[in-house]
Order: sequence, then structure tokens, then C-alpha cells
Amino acid sequence: MAHVHLEDGAFTLFWVLVWFAVAASIISIAWYRLGRDQIPTRKLAIASMCVAVGFAAFQIEIPVFGGIHLNLTPLMGILVGPALGSFCVLTINIFSAAIGHGGWSMIGANTLVNSVEVFLGYYVYLFLRRYVKLGRFYSGFGAASTALTVSALIAVAIVSISLIQGSTQTRAQTMANMTVLAIGNIIMGVFEGIVTGYIVSFLGRVRPDLIGESAPATVPSSGIPTEAAADV
Amino acid sequence: MSRKSYSKHIPDFRLVTHYAESRTSLIHRMNPWTKMVLLLFVILFVVIIQDSYLLAILLVATVAFYVTARLPLTLLLGWYSLPVFFVLTLSVLFVFSEPGRQLAGFELLGARIALTESGVLLVVNLLMRALAAVTFSLAVFMTTRYTNIAVIASKILPKPLDSIFLLSYRFTFETSDEIADVLDAMRSRSGGLVKGVSRQTKMFASIIGLAFVHAFERAERIAKAMEARGFNGAFPMTEEIPRMRYLDYALIALVATALAIVAYSRYFNNLIGW
Repeated sequence: MAHVHLEDGAFTLFWVLVWFAVAASIISIAWYRLGRDQIPTRKLAIASMCVAVGFAAFQIEIPVFGGIHLNLTPLMGILVGPALGSFCVLTINIFSAAIGHGGWSMIGANTLVNSVEVFLGYYVYLFLRRYVKLGRFYSGFGAASTALTVSALIAVAIVSISLIQGSTQTRAQTMANMTVLAIGNIIMGVFEGIVTGYIVSFLGRVRPDLIGESAPATVPSSGIPTEAAADV
Repeated sequence: MSRKSYSKHIPDFRLVTHYAESRTSLIHRMNPWTKMVLLLFVILFVVIIQDSYLLAILLVATVAFYVTARLPLTLLLGWYSLPVFFVLTLSVLFVFSEPGRQLAGFELLGARIALTESGVLLVVNLLMRALAAVTFSLAVFMTTRYTNIAVIASKILPKPLDSIFLLSYRFTFETSDEIADVLDAMRSRSGGLVKGVSRQTKMFASIIGLAFVHAFERAERIAKAMEARGFNGAFPMTEEIPRMRYLDYALIALVATALAIVAYSRYFNNLIGW
């Protein structure tokens, strides 16, 4: 997996509450950006389907390097944006906690890490595609790799600040230990970046409108495709 | 419940729901609100307890709860691999770097790497904490029907999180089946024999990409259907959860008292004395 999920009991109650508060702030900002109680039904449905696919796709074992599972959070950011993506990752973390993929008390910390992935996935993709003018594969690869690298470092920071419950190590020692783990996660993140690049390329061929590019021609009641109709 | 899951070590939501809908036991009959409150208490126990003996008792108690629900232990052991993996990846380096009495050691590149007693104890405690929480959580979701979970989610989650949760819970099953269909089709055409990292990665990327395309198309259809039926942001619940009985309150009071003693011992004055 491209990032670590923290299990119940890793942090003390104080730090559990701190990270819940941070995650709640992020979700509140996302809620405000989406229009508070006036979130369109279409956006709700898209977020829900993204959660369903993300959760189902996570269960697929890709048979390379002995079998790996993907998180797809940067891809969700590219597809639905950072605000809706934050709701998606929070819901995924609730589902995941139910089955032991991350703890209930760690939903705050895990949501913070995942929200960073969604946020960077979206903005780095936008930057690489619009301003650097890279192709879809390299933009998707760059966005996912950057997002997962930064999130791996944030996970190190979260654990180093909170400290592992029951450990007598200092913050500096904890950070040194976690850095080794972060290197492994970053390597896996680069692989997920490659997969994300391929998925974005695939989506660009079949439904470019999903990744914010030109919409496919649709056939209105007149029988003339909209793009052709515009030319008439 | 005709479909097989893709992974032996990741809990399959369809199987979890199947056990909740089709089995019967004392725990299945327990009030869903009681189970949810107990789950909250177990999480608090896991976070607050520091003593290894108490953690072992908690783990045994959660496994006993799971067994009382007549759920298969072999399945649980397989599903333990994910939390065990997460705990080990987080804490494996602490086994060697935690100060304390050395149990074993070796030289590596001129440096002494030693396994310490407190390092091992740290990992064992983290494992017991994680497994106790996972066991109880799985037991709750494998004994509580979908309609009851939907009612609880709609009451405790804020808007619009409740709508996203309920919709995605509902569509997780369809999406899982759809992905399983594509994987079956791939294997039936000898797609499983494809070798090479690049080719396999491209193939699985297409499968996931296709799942997202179908998901977006379905989401657009669902949104139109919901609006056509006058969706106002809240899902009407057709089923109510029965009120808790005296026995439920007594059980919650008992566990709450134990939690209060443990919390007092941890933060104020050690009453337990271990």
C-alpha cells in the first residue's frame, strides 16, 4: 500500500482528539466550499460512487511486486476536486475502520493524510496539465507521486508529533524510525503514480470530460451532435 | 451471497453483510444502538488501557463476543493480516530501537542491532489494541443488518456525510460485483497469464478506469432519478430500531463503570495497581 494507515491504540486520547479537530476543520472548509447544505444531488451521487469504486478497487490485488493494493486518493482528487474528495476520503475511512483498515480513533489522522493526497492530486495535476502542458500520463503520474510522497512525510510528522503510545523514544528517534517507513511508502507511491498515470490516460481516451477536458459530443433531440450543431 | 471475494486478507463487505442478514445469534438479536455504544467503549478502552494484562483480557473479551455471535474464527484470522501488517510496518523498527533489556542481537555493518524486551512489549501491546478493536468492529458489522446501520448513520452523521455514506454503502455491492465481473472476464480470456509489470499495470489500470467511467455514468443517472423523485437531501427511513430495554441499559452501565475505573486509574490515581 502506498501509505500507512494507523490502527486503534497507536496514539493517546489527547492526540486522537487533536487530529479529529484538525480533520473536522478540513471537512468544515470543504463543506463551506461546496455550498454548505445546498450541495447538488449530482455531486452527492458522484462522491458516493467514487467512494464505492475506491473501496472496491482497493480490494483488488495487482499481481506485481508480490501483490499490491492501491489507495486511489490522488485520482479521486483529480476526478472530483479537493472539497468533494475530502468527503470521499472521510467516508472511505469510516468504511475502512469498520473492517480494520485503519482505526476508528485514527479517522482524524488518516483523514488528514488522505485529504492532503486529494488536495495535492487535484492541484498538481491541474498545474502540470495546464501550465507545464504535460501529457495526461505524466500529469497523472506527477500528481499522484507528489501527493503520496508529501502524504508519507505528513504521516511521519503526525506520528513524530503524537509519539507512539507506550514508546519511550523521543520525537527525534521516532522520526528517524518513521523515515525508514516513509521511504518504503514513497517507493510504493511512485508505483501508484504510474498506475494513476495509466488510468488518467485511459479516462482521457474514453471520457475526457471526467478529467476536466473537452466534453464528448452528445446527441440532442435534433439528432445533430452538439459540437457539430455549434458549427452549423 | 454467490460471489467470492478477491482477497483472503481484506474483509469483503458483501460477506460481512451476508453474515449480518442471514445468521442468527444472541449478538444478532442485541439492540443495534447497544452494539454501537459498546463499540465506542471498546475503542476508548483500547486507547486508554496501558497495562498488557488488561489489554489481553480486552482482546479475549472481544473474541468471546465474536464467537458468541457464531461467526467463523478462520475468517477472522485471515482478516487479521491487514491490521497486523499496519501495526508491524508502523512499529517494527521500535522493536530494535526501544531502550531496555536486550533479548537478542546481531552486528550489521559494524552497528549493534538488538531486540529489546520493551520493544517487543510495545509491539505486542499495539497488536492487542488493534486486534481487539478490529474484532469487535467486525463482530458489530457482521451482526447488524443494513437497514439498522442505515438508520444509525442517518441519525449520527452530519449532512451531507450521511447521504454520501448511505449511497456509497448501497453502491459498494454493485460496484464490487461489476469489478468482479470484469476480473472474471479477464481471467476467462487468459488475462491472468499476462506477464510483465508494464502490461499487467496497464491492464489493471484499464479495469479501474472503466469502473470509474461506469461509476460516473451511474451517478449521473442516479442523481436524475433522485431529483425526479423529489430528493431533498435526506433519505426516508422505512424501518425504526426498537427502543433499548433495561438489560441494554444495564450492560452499558456496567461497561461504562469499568471504563470509568480504567480512565481514573490511567489519568488520576492507579486503582488497579498492576
